[in-house]
Amino acid sequence: MNELDPLLGYLCLAALLFTCGVVCMATKRNAIGVLIGVELVLNGANVNFVAFSRYHPNFQVEGMIFALFVIVMAAGEAAIALAIVLNFYNNHSTVDVDSADELKG
Amino acid sequence: MPDLSEKPGLLFVLATLLPLAGFTLLLTVAAIRWALRPYAAESPTADAVFKALGGEVTGRGPAYVALGSIALAFLCCVVGFVWFCIDAAHMHHLEHDIRHYEAEHAEPHHHGPGKAKKKAKDEPADEAAKEKAAKAKADAKTKHDQNVGDYNRLTKNWEGALEWARIFPSKDNVADTKHGTLLTLGFRIDMLSAVMFVMVTLIATLIHLFSIGYMSEELQETVEDHEVHTAHGHYHRRGRYGRFFMFLSLFCFSMLNLILADNLFQIFVSWELVGICSYLLIGFYFERTSASNAANKAFITNRVGDAGFIIGLLIVWTYFGTFNFQEIFSRVRCPERDADDVILINEKPAGHSIVRAKTDRVLKTGRFVKLDSNGDVALIFPRERIMGNVPGHFHGPSSTTAVHDSPRSREYGFIPYWLLVVAGLGIFLGCVGKSAQFPLQVWLPDAMEGPTPVSALIHAATMVAAGVYLVGRCYPLFTPEVLLTIAYIGGITLFVAASIAMVVTDIKKVLAYSTVSQLGYMMLALGVGGWTAGLLHLLTHAFFKALLFLGSGSVIYGCHHQQDMLKMGGLFDKMKITALTMLVGVLAIAGTPFFSGWYSKDEILVAAFGFSMTHPQHFLLFLLPLVTAGITTFYMFRMWFMTFTGEPRDEHVYKHAEETPWVMTTPLVILAIFSVGVAWGWPPHDPEHSWLGQQLHHYSQPAAVDVDFKASHELLHGTPSYHTMVGMLALAVVAIGVAFALVLYYYNVLDPNEAVEQFPGVHKFLLHKWYFDELYSALLVRPGLIFAHWCSGFDTIVINGFVHLVAKWNMFVSYVSGLFDKGIIDGSVNLLADVSYSVGNWLRNLQTGYLRSYVLFLALAAMAIWMLLYAWATAMGGP
Repeated sequence: MNELDPLLGYLCLAALLFTCGVVCMATKRNAIGVLIGVELVLNGANVNFVAFSRYHPNFQVEGMIFALFVIVMAAGEAAIALAIVLNFYNNHSTVDVDSADELKG
Repeated sequence: MPDLSEKPGLLFVLATLLPLAGFTLLLTVAAIRWALRPYAAESPTADAVFKALGGEVTGRGPAYVALGSIALAFLCCVVGFVWFCIDAAHMHHLEHDIRHYEAEHAEPHHHGPGKAKKKAKDEPADEAAKEKAAKAKADAKTKHDQNVGDYNRLTKNWEGALEWARIFPSKDNVADTKHGTLLTLGFRIDMLSAVMFVMVTLIATLIHLFSIGYMSEELQETVEDHEVHTAHGHYHRRGRYGRFFMFLSLFCFSMLNLILADNLFQIFVSWELVGICSYLLIGFYFERTSASNAANKAFITNRVGDAGFIIGLLIVWTYFGTFNFQEIFSRVRCPERDADDVILINEKPAGHSIVRAKTDRVLKTGRFVKLDSNGDVALIFPRERIMGNVPGHFHGPSSTTAVHDSPRSREYGFIPYWLLVVAGLGIFLGCVGKSAQFPLQVWLPDAMEGPTPVSALIHAATMVAAGVYLVGRCYPLFTPEVLLTIAYIGGITLFVAASIAMVVTDIKKVLAYSTVSQLGYMMLALGVGGWTAGLLHLLTHAFFKALLFLGSGSVIYGCHHQQDMLKMGGLFDKMKITALTMLVGVLAIAGTPFFSGWYSKDEILVAAFGFSMTHPQHFLLFLLPLVTAGITTFYMFRMWFMTFTGEPRDEHVYKHAEETPWVMTTPLVILAIFSVGVAWGWPPHDPEHSWLGQQLHHYSQPAAVDVDFKASHELLHGTPSYHTMVGMLALAVVAIGVAFALVLYYYNVLDPNEAVEQFPGVHKFLLHKWYFDELYSALLVRPGLIFAHWCSGFDTIVINGFVHLVAKWNMFVSYVSGLFDKGIIDGSVNLLADVSYSVGNWLRNLQTGYLRSYVLFLALAAMAIWMLLYAWATAMGGP
């Protein structure tokens, strides 16, 4: 248990980051704000992966690789999401996600 | 196609087919015209073709086609007839020689071993004589073989057949030849058919010629029928000249085919064709109710007879396996000599007789029968062998055994005797219908609704004679019981019809009843063994009755369609040719010496006399024709006097009466010549020596006639004075008839009306035609109608009611089924849909369109899932 003590701190940090990201996504009306929330969530997860790769013998390689995957994916996600936001802005002259409700049932 | 000189019989086939060709041509043209008529107004091409084929109403073209074909047929028949007479004489000689030779050479066998022994004893004595005899015998044999060859070749010349339809028996059954498998179309000319051919074509030709004049009214574009009344006055229609001649042509073909046929089935087909022609022509003026009723009556009455005919055909087909006359006769009548020696009997039955036997007992090996003149079966003999190929003979006296079904005698058969009688009666019933004999005579007088030439051709000279012809043709098939029936039916008919003819005043009806009466004479003659007499009367009657009918037609035409003799009188000055030719006809039918009717009627009376002498219980068969001869004379002279002599009874008719044109009088003159001379022979004062009668007697009379009526024929031959006696008796009766007619209708010594008042009951009885129509109406027509009404009621109430009930029940079931369908099936489906809809409708509230809420849901859902997993893991017992 002691061995994992440092891990607990990282996990708490990751949970904090994740929660912040989710709250940010759930509260922001600005699309950029939502994107930032997403980044926070992803990075929260990343902190988890890295922490486990450092402190848990079973996940030394896996944690690193997943962290890398998440970074790559986050980059791709940011690129696509920004493109969507730009286009959305071109069409609606706003980035307020609440106005994007054409697909509502 | 065989050469005509090799098969001269084809001349008659050609004569038969010519009217058919005429009919086909006329029918085709009529069909094209009918098809083009609606387009003629629109298209000029159609109009041109339509006009070329005769236009709206044909001219005399159809008449020329029909007349041409029948006249050509007549020429063929004359050539064929002369040719046949020569061949027939030749064949007669050959047949005589062959029979003579066979009789001689069959002799030694008859006397058995005794004579052979005697011969053996003489043997060494005269060797040379024996050699000579052997040589003579060989010569005779060569001559005989040549004769047989010639005879068979000549016979083949006058017959031929085409396979028409064949059924193939099943494989196991191939050997079974008892049942018929083959229907043929064939012809076989004998003297009877050759003479009939000439008679029919000659009379038909003359009647065609007459019709050209008589039917000229039908040439008009619109014909006014004075006897049909409509709301707008008289009925108007298009002329039907072409149709009339088309039907006449079809009729001629049918009639000639009937005479040509060598088998019963072909006769039956023609029989029906003739019937339908009669129907069409009686109903020629079918707008008149009386005409269409008469046509129906004729057709339906004939159906009754034909039902009997079919029964006869079926029996013949079942037991003899063929419809060919020669085969049937050779199987039903005993051959003169027996080829296979299989009939071993106590006594040799006479050749050409029907042999009856008693079924003795049935063994495994076959059926044994004993010849017995009252037996329950009649023998069926093996199929006909060609003449001259008959080596054997009847065996002499021998053991008691008769015939049995051993393989050797396989072809011998048996027919229950009563079935043979039924077959004969059935065929005769057909003849009763067609020849209008009692009790089916009712249709013929009504048939006078047709145009007069039709009455002359069909209902006097030819078609009604077909029945008599068939009786004559099928003679060998008839058992004595059937022949007696024929004689009595003939006797009753001739008297009944003659008695009615005395009171009728319609000129055509008088002739109609006289026709029925004369047909009765013919039937009577055939039934009492006067085969030749009956058929000779058929021929002579055809001529004088055609003459009388055409004469009456001429009178009717001259008087502008007045048929009632009560409106005529004194017409002699107006129409001399018609009157004189009709007088010839009257004299002929009355039996005046040296007129054709005398020859045949005398012969009939002689035959009837011979029969009633040998069978005294049947004296009526002589008395009836004798008395009726007087009645015949009376009513015929009555008709002539009422029409042509005395004061005119109706000024209007008399004033407008005139002699008819030459096309109508020429046939009358020709027919008058034939009516006088057709039966002449040498010496002319002896009816026995009538040339035509002699021809029929020698070449055509079945040998069976002489066998069946041996006693009466021997009696007549033995006592020639009977002939004279009967002749004188007949003349006396005729004279009485003439006397009555003179007194009543010429000198008016007695008033006919007063004479009638003396016997009002009898007069009324006769005027109502013995109440036959009323009787049939009460017995058959009315019950038929009542039955029909009852059936109709049953149909409306019970059948319709049932149908309606079923329909109602169906409707109820459908209604319930509909309710179930709507309520349960549709309801459940709709409920499901409604639930899905409302659930969906509620769920759509979750789709807010706000990203935030989705994220919130995601987070909450993830948390919820995590907590559930956690709870589950805890419950499973582990952190």
